[in-house]
Order: sequence, then C-alpha cells, then structure tokens
Amino acid sequence: MNRREFLGLGLGVLAASMIPARVLAEDFRKTKPSVWKAKKPDQAIKALFGTNKMDKSGVKLNAPDIAENGAVIPITVEKVPEGTKILALFQDANPESAVAVFTIHPRSIPDGYSIRIKLQKTGNVYAVAQTKDGKLFYDEKKVKVTIGGCGG
Amino acid sequence: MKKIRMRFRAKAKGDIVKVIGLIKHPNLTYIMAKKQHKEVNFLTYIKATHNGEVVYEASTSQFLSKDPVLKFAFKGGKKGDVVEVYVRDLKGNEGTKKVKIK
Repeated sequence: MNRREFLGLGLGVLAASMIPARVLAEDFRKTKPSVWKAKKPDQAIKALFGTNKMDKSGVKLNAPDIAENGAVIPITVEKVPEGTKILALFQDANPESAVAVFTIHPRSIPDGYSIRIKLQKTGNVYAVAQTKDGKLFYDEKKVKVTIGGCGG
Repeated sequence: MKKIRMRFRAKAKGDIVKVIGLIKHPNLTYIMAKKQHKEVNFLTYIKATHNGEVVYEASTSQFLSKDPVLKFAFKGGKKGDVVEVYVRDLKGNEGTKKVKIK
C-alpha cells in the first residue's frame, strides 16, 4: 500500500465515523418499512424493536374510555421511563397496527406527548417505550368506539 | 405539489417550552380513500427544530385523525426564540412553519 492509498483509507474511515452523528434524525417509515405493514401490535413491535418482550410498568397512557366519535381520539402519553429513546403508539382496531413512532432527543420532554388518532372500532391502544439499554416498557388502554372513524 | 398548512403556538415557562399545534391534513386511509374515490394520502413525518437541534420527531401512519392536534414540550428554549416545524406527507407535499416562542 502506498502513501496515497493509505490517506484515502483514512478519509474513508473518517467519513464513516461521521455518519452516525449526522443521522440523528430518523424517519422510521424509510428505515423500518415493515413496521407500518404489520397487522397486529405484536408483529409491529417486533418489527420495530426486534423483540416483543416487555414490562407493563413505567409508561402511563391516557385515552378516553368511551369515544363517541372514532375519527378523533386524543391520546396522551403522560409518563415514560427515564432514558427513553423511542416511543411508539400502536392499536389493534385498524387494518394496520402502527400509529406513530417518536424519536426522543436529548432536549425533548416526552412526558405529555399528545396526538389525535382515529380508530375504526373498539380496540386497545398501546404505548411502548424503549430505554437506552434496549428494554421495553408499555401501557395499554381500551377505548370503546361507538361510531367508527375509518369508514369515511 | 401542495403546501401543507398548519397552526402552531409555543409558550415558554422557565426553560421549558410547550408547543401545541394543528396540522391541516385530511389523513385519508386506504379504506376512506377508496370510498371517497380519492387518492390515499396522510402525514408521514413531523419534525420540530430549535436552534438547529431536533427537539421533536415523529414518523406517523394513516391513523392520525383528520387535522390532527399535537402537543409536545422541550427544554432549553426561551421567549423570543423560533421553533421550526416541518411536516411531510405520503405524496411528498411539504410544509414548514416558524413559530415564535411567547
């Protein structure tokens, strides 16, 4: 190996080491397309995190017990464990399971994240949080829907 | 390409900034689009940055409600700063909004 090649190699390594720093923002629809096609929460959780072994603790999910209109259901995640990196919402009433995947950045405050979703029929909503060490925590809530939100 | 419209409000309390907003989007699911003879389209990506740093990021599916309202918070912001929100949908329509923190 001559000097020129060696320098080129060094640059390559440098460039490679810089990539993770730049990919701080992650679009999960591009990086994990299978998550969005999964029909059941179990499958979607496995597709996203690689496992579906999780503890029902640490996360607190708030949703209405009865939703008169399935088209607009406010979902609030009130509490997540310390050091949460990824927070995801799933449900089992619609054709596919995944609703939203949030990336928690160092300055984000995930306690209190709220978003409005729609459910076709009565079902369970799940909030799953993954902490820095890869452990999964979740909470579920049954939402009774009297008028479906997906039928148009 | 259509621009996605939205309304956002940001309020600082100490160094914690609370943001609440509404994104104008029909969020048509596959079933709804078929019934209404329209094309499927829904929000896929929402991001908020403050001083060039990402503070909120979500990849979303068709099951957000129509014109979804969302709430989030982050620390390290102050009155007068600007939060920039960026959204994108399935068809590649985009929208950005600069919100001044009050």
